[in-house]
Amino acid sequence: MAQAQVPEYVRVVEELFSKYKEFVYVGKYIQRWDAVAKITGKALFTADFLKFYKDPVYVYTVRPKYAHAYIKSIDTTEAERYPGVIKVLTAKDIPGVNDVGYVIPDQPLLADKKVRYIADPVALIVAEDKYVAAEAAELVHVEYEPLPVITDPLEVVDLKTLKEKEHVRIHEERESDIISHFKIRKGDVEKAMKEADVVVENEYRTGMQEHAYLEPEAAIAIPEADGGVTIIATTQCPFDVRKAVARVLGLTQNKVRVVVPAIGGGFGGKEDVVNEIGAKAALAAYYTGRPAVVIHTREESMIGHSKRHPMVAWYRHAAKKDGTLLAVEANIVLDTGAYASLGPFVAWRAIVHSTGPYKVPNARVDTLAVYTNNVYAGAFRGFGNPQVTFAFELQMDALAEELGMDPVDLRLKNILREGDRTVHGQLLTKEHGVGLEETLRKAIEVIDWYRKRKEYSQFAEGTLRKGIGLALLWHGNSIGVEGADYSSATIIINRDGTITFRTGLTDFGQGALWGLVLIAAEILGVPPQLFRIEPPDTSSTPDAGPTVASRSTVMGGAATMNAAYKLRKRINELAANMLGCSPDEIVIRAPEKEDVKPSDVEVFCSSDPSKKVKWTDVVEQSFWDGVPLQEFGFFRAPKAEWDEETGQGAPYVTYTFGTMVAEVTVDIETGAVKVDRMVTAYDIGRVINRVGAELHAEGGAIQGLGYALMEEIVHDKNGVVRTYNLSNYYTPLVDDIPDEIIPIWVEAGFKRGPFGAKGLGEPSIVAIAPAIVNAINHATKHRFTQIPLTPERIYLGLKKAGKIKL
Amino acid sequence: MAFDPSRSWDTYPDIEITLNVNGKNYKVKVKPYERLIDVLRYKLGFTGVKEGCGRGECGACVVLMDGELVPSCLVLAVRANGKKIITVEGLAPEGKLHAVQKAFLDTFAVQCGFCFPGFAIAIKHLLDKNPNPSEEEIKEAISGNLCRCGSYYRLIKAAKLASEYVRQGKIYFDVKR
Repeated sequence: MAQAQVPEYVRVVEELFSKYKEFVYVGKYIQRWDAVAKITGKALFTADFLKFYKDPVYVYTVRPKYAHAYIKSIDTTEAERYPGVIKVLTAKDIPGVNDVGYVIPDQPLLADKKVRYIADPVALIVAEDKYVAAEAAELVHVEYEPLPVITDPLEVVDLKTLKEKEHVRIHEERESDIISHFKIRKGDVEKAMKEADVVVENEYRTGMQEHAYLEPEAAIAIPEADGGVTIIATTQCPFDVRKAVARVLGLTQNKVRVVVPAIGGGFGGKEDVVNEIGAKAALAAYYTGRPAVVIHTREESMIGHSKRHPMVAWYRHAAKKDGTLLAVEANIVLDTGAYASLGPFVAWRAIVHSTGPYKVPNARVDTLAVYTNNVYAGAFRGFGNPQVTFAFELQMDALAEELGMDPVDLRLKNILREGDRTVHGQLLTKEHGVGLEETLRKAIEVIDWYRKRKEYSQFAEGTLRKGIGLALLWHGNSIGVEGADYSSATIIINRDGTITFRTGLTDFGQGALWGLVLIAAEILGVPPQLFRIEPPDTSSTPDAGPTVASRSTVMGGAATMNAAYKLRKRINELAANMLGCSPDEIVIRAPEKEDVKPSDVEVFCSSDPSKKVKWTDVVEQSFWDGVPLQEFGFFRAPKAEWDEETGQGAPYVTYTFGTMVAEVTVDIETGAVKVDRMVTAYDIGRVINRVGAELHAEGGAIQGLGYALMEEIVHDKNGVVRTYNLSNYYTPLVDDIPDEIIPIWVEAGFKRGPFGAKGLGEPSIVAIAPAIVNAINHATKHRFTQIPLTPERIYLGLKKAGKIKL
Repeated sequence: MAFDPSRSWDTYPDIEITLNVNGKNYKVKVKPYERLIDVLRYKLGFTGVKEGCGRGECGACVVLMDGELVPSCLVLAVRANGKKIITVEGLAPEGKLHAVQKAFLDTFAVQCGFCFPGFAIAIKHLLDKNPNPSEEEIKEAISGNLCRCGSYYRLIKAAKLASEYVRQGKIYFDVKR
């Protein structure tokens, strides 16, 4: 990118990055804004608003008996006659466009011609009572013509040839059931394979993971006088819900208002499904003129919202005797289920990361996303990267074993450092902040890698074995070439000196918005306790882009910086006038106390601290002097580049790096695994919200442990989900967590991130599973290649290999 | 519930029950099939009680019923007639925090917050019976609660801290802001 074209909003971020070295609020332990409301039970989540809407209608979705079938007819008459039913809605009742597809228009809100998965919405019951609605759903008579059900993506595509197989088409309206095909072509792979001293080749499988956020999806739609609608919804992306609802109802976007209250977890799952339920609620409100409610039961949530894409991958790595990587070859197939959702973007992120944070001179990778009749897969923390990281990090360990090298030494030989080029040809410079090696060195030092690796190799106590394993990661920040990559934030200083903070980014527990406030507080000198974060509201908050892709702190933070920077400049000038010193000398400082008030904040001259006024006086003066104290900040990431044919370019603005180490104890006769300890070392450029960062290191590792060992959505051969509630889909509970998780932070600042910060939301799960499985493989001296690695899989794997007798 | 055409929903009689919630008596009309959680949330406004799974698996909806820990999604409202219920809203007087809640703050445990009402009640239940629990006893007491954000380490620490507060006789704390 030409330096001359650096926009002002990027220049501001760069200026502040080089200016700030010491921090008052950034990186400190500061209680998040909504903690008290949440622990007292006062925080309002979407469904809680029902206590204010006493006479709503309830919307219940009629879902099919078959995972794949043509719809011959839908008879709603009996359901309509059922007492308490107000209306039954089908596709023909949709005033606008019958589609809620996220990336491509392939997903009807209400199916009319065919159903493609077991929870495909066919009709909506609108009733006075939720029990009535559910009962009446049984009275909608749909005549189906069942079709063969495909639950295995390898029935659609051949893993070796990557050709589409003969199969019953799932989306006949499209050219193919392969929805995307991305490529990396670099160097001469065949030649490299021939020249290699060692080649390792394996097939890997990862499971379909469920977000299992504790709050099931909910939306309440309230009809407005002008024909518009207000929607309260559990969405990560209010502007996407607005767009989807406007399309379904045939309204302009300014007539659809989406408000986001507290959200009970998201992890990427509260994206597309909320477009769907928001549209359902809005449709019911449109027809009844009453507030309309959709609240998913856990069962509806588990069968009816997107999941993490299962992956089948074939990998071949080639290296020299000394461990230098020569080439990587891979065929990667992602199962996107019945609808594309964010599948094409997930597949793209998967291929970008598919060869790992290593120097790879020759590569040939193909990544496909294909339809099946499984529940559709979409966004889930990591977004395609955990899948491929599982594969390439197991490959690295397999390679180390073949070479007789320590896994750490093999990685040290090949990792990306400053001045190296990625597999896409992107040059990594000091501006990106490349702290991968530091994460690796620190992690192995803290855990005492070499000693334990040796010691555990010999450990055998009865049926118990110990192992230690590691995995490295890189994770492109924000959305790259997936879409328009912008964000925004608004800061309003109120007349009493308090501050209102608004952004269209959302908080679903991760606390990133608190990081934005800490950034603003740092620049303005006003303590974070004096800020109030307003709930996102599409009618009064400018579009900030979606809250996805680990982008809130990086993109929203940069936008926040711009708003705070402009305000601070004006305030400095005003205060300099009031105090009689230069604007550069103005210091704004607050005493350290929890219940700090605006009048406690002081504004003074650094050259003469006796020249001082209260913050509240400066604020008051600004209103008299006509200095506006409201400011909008905007940021757009530098444009990403990607060549469709070769995968060359600069796909992301920068990368978060990390090294995960896991220690495990395995009972080889029961297959039970205890993860004893984990070290998670991340280079996130700069720690902004320290509490949030630590919570991510812990929470990401625990969710990753579930992904590695326990969690899998299972479909039977008819496409029926067998794991439909928390009673049969297991997530880690308190008994399952490691004894300790030790977080390490490396801060190799990113020049265009706020104070150097990079994202952590997704990276915190990306390399957990491979670290754990590499440790299990070390403990069992076996090469497991599939997750979730359940006790059953371990036991049967060892038994089949003749490693246990039972 | 099973559909019975001869007996559609609105023909079921309302039953008047009395609930003592957080120390206050409420007379409320309920259907025989209504769950305690819905009555608490939507008829009485105690939305601190959260529904996560509807099957007693996640622990988000637990309340104390005559001192016992119950998932309110599995209790029919009529079965709670005459009982004393404590929800998260009743842990401390208005404007105060209970020791358990204070400990959640002190350990920086809060993320999405959806599980906290359940954890708070489960830990309070533990401390009522055992003011000096071991780590194992704490883990057992919260083993029925799911925190998907993964705050477990801090919740264990918070339970220990809360037990210290309780043993020191510090039950209620002022809210700073």
